Amino acid sequence: MRYGTASPGALAVRAAESGMPALALTDRDGLYGAVKHAGACGHEGIELILGADLALREVPPRPSRLQPRDRAATGPPRLANETAGRVTLLACGERGRKGWASLCRLVSAVHQSGERGVPAVSPDLVADYAEGLIVLLGPASDVGQAVAARRPDLAVAALARWRDRAETVIEIVDHHGPGDTHNAARMLRFAREAGIPAVLTNAVRYLDSADGPVAQVLDAARQLTPLGPRHLAGRNAQAYLKSTEQMARVAARICGSGSCRGPRACAGRCDDPAHQLLDATAALARRCVLDKARDLGIGTKHLPEVSGEDAFAQLRQRCEEGLLRRGLAHPQAPRAKSRWHPWHGHRENAADRLSRELAIIAKAGLASYFLTVADVASLIRDRGIRCAIRGSGAGSLVNYLIGISGIDPLEHDLIMERFLSEGRKDLPDIDLDVESARRIEAYRAIIERYGEERCGCVSMMETYRARSAIRDTAAALGLPPHEIDVIAKAFGHIRARGIRGALADLPELRASNLAIPQLTSLFRIAERLDGLPRHIAMHPCGIVLSSGTLLDRVPVERSAEGLPLCQYDMDDVEAAGMIKLDVLGVRMQSAMTYALAEIERTRGERVDIDTISPDDEPTFEMIRSGRTLGCFQIESPGQRELVTRLEPRDIGDLIVDISLFRPGPVNSDMITPYLDIKHHRRPACYPHEDLAGPLGETGGVVIFHEQVLRVIDVMTDCGLSYAERLRRQLSDESARATVRQWFCGAALGRGYDDTIVERVWDVLEAFGGFGFCKAHAAAFAIPTYQSAWLKRHYPAAFYAGVLAHDPGMYPKRVITGDARLSGIPVLTVDVNASAGDWQVERVPPPPGAMRDGPGEGLGPGTGRRKALRDRRGEGLRDRRRRGLRDRRGEGLRTGLREVKGISNAEVARIVAGRPYTSLRDFWQRARVSRPVAERLVLVGAFDLLYAGPGRQPTRRDLLARVGVLAGPPAARRDIDQLALDLDGGGGGLAKGGGAGNVGDGFATLVPAGELPELSAAERVEAELEILGIDISEHVISFYEKILGALGVVRARNLHRCRSGASVLVAGVKTSTQTPAVKSGQRIIFATLDDATGPVNLAFFESVQERCAARVFGSWLLLVRGRVRRPGQRSSSGSGQQPGAGGQAGTRGRGGMAGRGSAAGQGGLAVSVNAAECWDLAVLEEIRHSRGIRAVHAAMAAGDVPGKGIAAAAPGAGQPAAGSPAAVSKIVYSTGFTLSPYAETGSSGGAAKDPPRKLWHASPGSSGDWMATGRERAD
Amino acid sequence: MSRMYSEPIEVRDQDGRPLRFVWRGRLYTVRGVLEHWVVSREWWQRNNPDTDVPAEREFWRVEASPGKDVPPAVYELRRDVETGDWLLVRVWD
Repeated sequence: MRYGTASPGALAVRAAESGMPALALTDRDGLYGAVKHAGACGHEGIELILGADLALREVPPRPSRLQPRDRAATGPPRLANETAGRVTLLACGERGRKGWASLCRLVSAVHQSGERGVPAVSPDLVADYAEGLIVLLGPASDVGQAVAARRPDLAVAALARWRDRAETVIEIVDHHGPGDTHNAARMLRFAREAGIPAVLTNAVRYLDSADGPVAQVLDAARQLTPLGPRHLAGRNAQAYLKSTEQMARVAARICGSGSCRGPRACAGRCDDPAHQLLDATAALARRCVLDKARDLGIGTKHLPEVSGEDAFAQLRQRCEEGLLRRGLAHPQAPRAKSRWHPWHGHRENAADRLSRELAIIAKAGLASYFLTVADVASLIRDRGIRCAIRGSGAGSLVNYLIGISGIDPLEHDLIMERFLSEGRKDLPDIDLDVESARRIEAYRAIIERYGEERCGCVSMMETYRARSAIRDTAAALGLPPHEIDVIAKAFGHIRARGIRGALADLPELRASNLAIPQLTSLFRIAERLDGLPRHIAMHPCGIVLSSGTLLDRVPVERSAEGLPLCQYDMDDVEAAGMIKLDVLGVRMQSAMTYALAEIERTRGERVDIDTISPDDEPTFEMIRSGRTLGCFQIESPGQRELVTRLEPRDIGDLIVDISLFRPGPVNSDMITPYLDIKHHRRPACYPHEDLAGPLGETGGVVIFHEQVLRVIDVMTDCGLSYAERLRRQLSDESARATVRQWFCGAALGRGYDDTIVERVWDVLEAFGGFGFCKAHAAAFAIPTYQSAWLKRHYPAAFYAGVLAHDPGMYPKRVITGDARLSGIPVLTVDVNASAGDWQVERVPPPPGAMRDGPGEGLGPGTGRRKALRDRRGEGLRDRRRRGLRDRRGEGLRTGLREVKGISNAEVARIVAGRPYTSLRDFWQRARVSRPVAERLVLVGAFDLLYAGPGRQPTRRDLLARVGVLAGPPAARRDIDQLALDLDGGGGGLAKGGGAGNVGDGFATLVPAGELPELSAAERVEAELEILGIDISEHVISFYEKILGALGVVRARNLHRCRSGASVLVAGVKTSTQTPAVKSGQRIIFATLDDATGPVNLAFFESVQERCAARVFGSWLLLVRGRVRRPGQRSSSGSGQQPGAGGQAGTRGRGGMAGRGSAAGQGGLAVSVNAAECWDLAVLEEIRHSRGIRAVHAAMAAGDVPGKGIAAAAPGAGQPAAGSPAAVSKIVYSTGFTLSPYAETGSSGGAAKDPPRKLWHASPGSSGDWMATGRERAD
Repeated sequence: MSRMYSEPIEVRDQDGRPLRFVWRGRLYTVRGVLEHWVVSREWWQRNNPDTDVPAEREFWRVEASPGKDVPPAVYELRRDVETGDWLLVRVWD
């Protein structure tokens, strides 16, 4: 870890090339790469040796005074190196699996002892697991260091400690550094004198000497020091994997250098010891060869034992019980699933299905696996943790019957073979989703149940990516920290090896001036760190379950949470034949739990979200209208557009929706033909009538993996298990030809005619990797529906849950904005009302409740389609008309945790101390820090406390009082005195007393109203800075003037603009995405929020040169672009962008569904193809100081000096020279092209954090008021 | 006692191993190699971003004498692997 620079695979290839019979991997402090190394050696046909390079525990200075030597008596012996050194332990394969087991257990013990993260071994520890282990003492060991320091006395003593406890061998290393050869020769002599064998190694760290600098950077990063001659004294680049001949030369050098005095003298004499050394090395290697099946347990399954009788019988019994419990025991009449799918097929018989599934399970010997997972699921649910299945496992009836899954696969026509098919060798995955907030609790429960000898967490190697590689390299090169920060943050989340490529390709980086020669060296090294392990972390969801011999096969350390952590990653665990159970923390599950608890707390209603009616019309109505912000899976701008076009009416439609909203289907335009058929604009058509069955549910369009299986099965009669195997090969280019041959042959043999077989094959091929596992989508659709249902029926509680657990893609201020638009007031922090998290609070109906909405009255739509109707208008009027649950009595109270810089302890003290009677009371009992108290005052947390008749202190007054309370004791004493006088008079709760001046003794010192109240702008500024949320007013409202002057079109009016019209839009950036799109372009999608709704923007490559840096870097944006309506190809819009989707591949799609003509008629999704953009805050500043004309001038100039990015756009409207034409694209065989920078996210400014300064400093407002307050207080 | 020189010299070598060298006009014959090692140069302080090969220097500590009758002294020679230039680093006498 942070030591070697070569992968096990590369080393094994090189070793095999140079004809080595065996290769050992000795990871530092662990056995992290063991499984990968075993695989690599197996692949290359060389023998496998494994070991661990462990740090020695610092031994207290030995009682050297007892020894008669004078020099030792003068002081404790200090070895050259401050650290206690390192030894290597090899597992010996001679005694069966004992050697490997000892090594695993020793490594686990080493991690268990001492501090976490500082594993250290001692001879005594080795003694406990000595069987089958060989201790290699190299130059870094205590013995080696003593020899190098010419202290044979110490060396002998140190050696004795090892020899007494385990088999010990001396390791000779000569890296050809200064003194190395001498020391190696001395070591060899020492070994000979001590009578123990010596072997030669090269302690390999890298493949080629060219990687030496990378290893040095890793050294520096590990030691947290800059590179310098001091730390690298004598290091060179010789620790590469040398060939056998090179090592023979090393051996000769070591044996020759000590004794001989010239080339002639040593001839014949020195060959001998060198040969002996090499022979001894080979002999040791032979003894240490391990067998990956026998020792590591690769290739067999290690399932947890099931208590009691035969596991399969137990499983069968539980399934039969399940049939009864789920009401499936009797054969049912085929029933159509939904009236919306008239083409839908029949329902399979449950008993038949069960016996088929059980047969497969019996054959694979996996009964105990299913029982284990069922046990885990019930274990989690018994703790009251929400738990849902995800992934293909939902397709299995067995999972449904034994309670792992809540989805009836028959109802949704899911098939098991996608999950587990006959002949599949690896173990199937069952993934469970649990509440994110209680994930660790669930893990603890599982580990407690199964014990650490069977169970642990899967680890995950965090590897170097661009940012981390740059950080570590730059630090090693000694760059100042703030420069490192700037450079690293300029890069998005890209791979390290792409650093220089990105620098050349991405417009926002081209503008950054980072491509300068001084930094080239940095980037070159950083690129070479790509993919190297940086540190080990707990995998976010993996749990390993195994038989009771886990610790014999897997080394285990501790995670930061104290959970046992296997040193293998996901793939290794699977390769080693253990169950990997993904228990994923899902924030939406936590959010829903929170919402349910809020409902119960505020209304006393217990809602069982798992038993709600699956076809609640109001819920689907809300989904169809696109008001799905905050809902699971369907809240993104794209999804909101899709749901309005797809018009889901039941869960089945949601399943389709989730499956369709993926890069493949979106970009190969599977959506339009599907929608046409669904909305009966075109008839469904099938290549052959036999395929009406499998493709019926989607009208002939292939959407699901399950359909592929069925199509293959129908055409070739090969069985679903075999079909699944073929499907897996479809995504592999090289295997596809074989599959094709087989498929066409088999289908022709069944009597289908040539053209039909060809057409079906085209569809299967085009389907490639695009499809989605329907079981997975079905598993997603449940929480999607549940969250939408909550939003529809208990919006306040829903928003509270979403805000408390932040499950989605949007910043919180977008969620609160949505809440406000739905008529739920958002209340600021209040010391007496706020809890730690967001809460639903009963509020009196707002005075303006009879108006259409707060603020401007907006008519609900102007005769346009319903979906277009302004959302705020609908928020109140429609609901009232429909006579639904009255929710105007509920508001959202901001949680204390939202306050910047507040600690958990402070939150706990504040909540525990409620109610407070005054600021002084709060100060004394809640004992928060002064900045937190000031922030609470600024966001109005004390406003209610002092509300009432009479003159109330302003927030500035209160701020001054905080200053007094936190001030020097002398001033405080006076007030204490005053307070005593007044407290007697009658303070009480402010609300109760109603007095503006609560008895806190301040009235005389800082009289209420002494200082002016914060202006509206100042309040919002404070709210944004402290809470990150604009509570009292929308930020954009402060820009109304400039927006009006420039004629900016607001989101709610955008649909009135004709397509192609050039418009200006503005707003707060809420999201930026660069998803994969078909053409391989990198398109930046951004969403602005302008208080009337979202504005969706697309920046194509041709304008990114001008805009990218600003889009990522600014928070408030003004954008000029052309209106695009959904359904029109973007290329027809403005002509500025080379058709994003216009060049859609035609291959294959035509076969089944033909090409869509007109697109679906959507509502909300008018978007803007951006051409130019500006920083709105900067423009407002110009307007304020120089007037609107200057703003126009600045806009015309094409660029205004924003923050930090001053690269003038070359020739407005023209793409700059050297622009992105050269960006290499990843082209898939299906014609799907991908920009290498797709999904890399934004670099720089995150949409979640507003910048410090939002708008111009208006004279006399913010700025110095804080200081004024303090001065007065003092 | 050793003295530092760091003067360029001419070296005749065999497979990289120095046999004879000329320093200050005199020919020295290498009698034996005492030690030989390799050290990386401080690449991070140099500004040649175009090379991927780590710059290394080879050191040879040899016994040599300028004539048969002269008793050998210890010389430290350095070769820059990149340029192939030799330097006499220091001499023990």
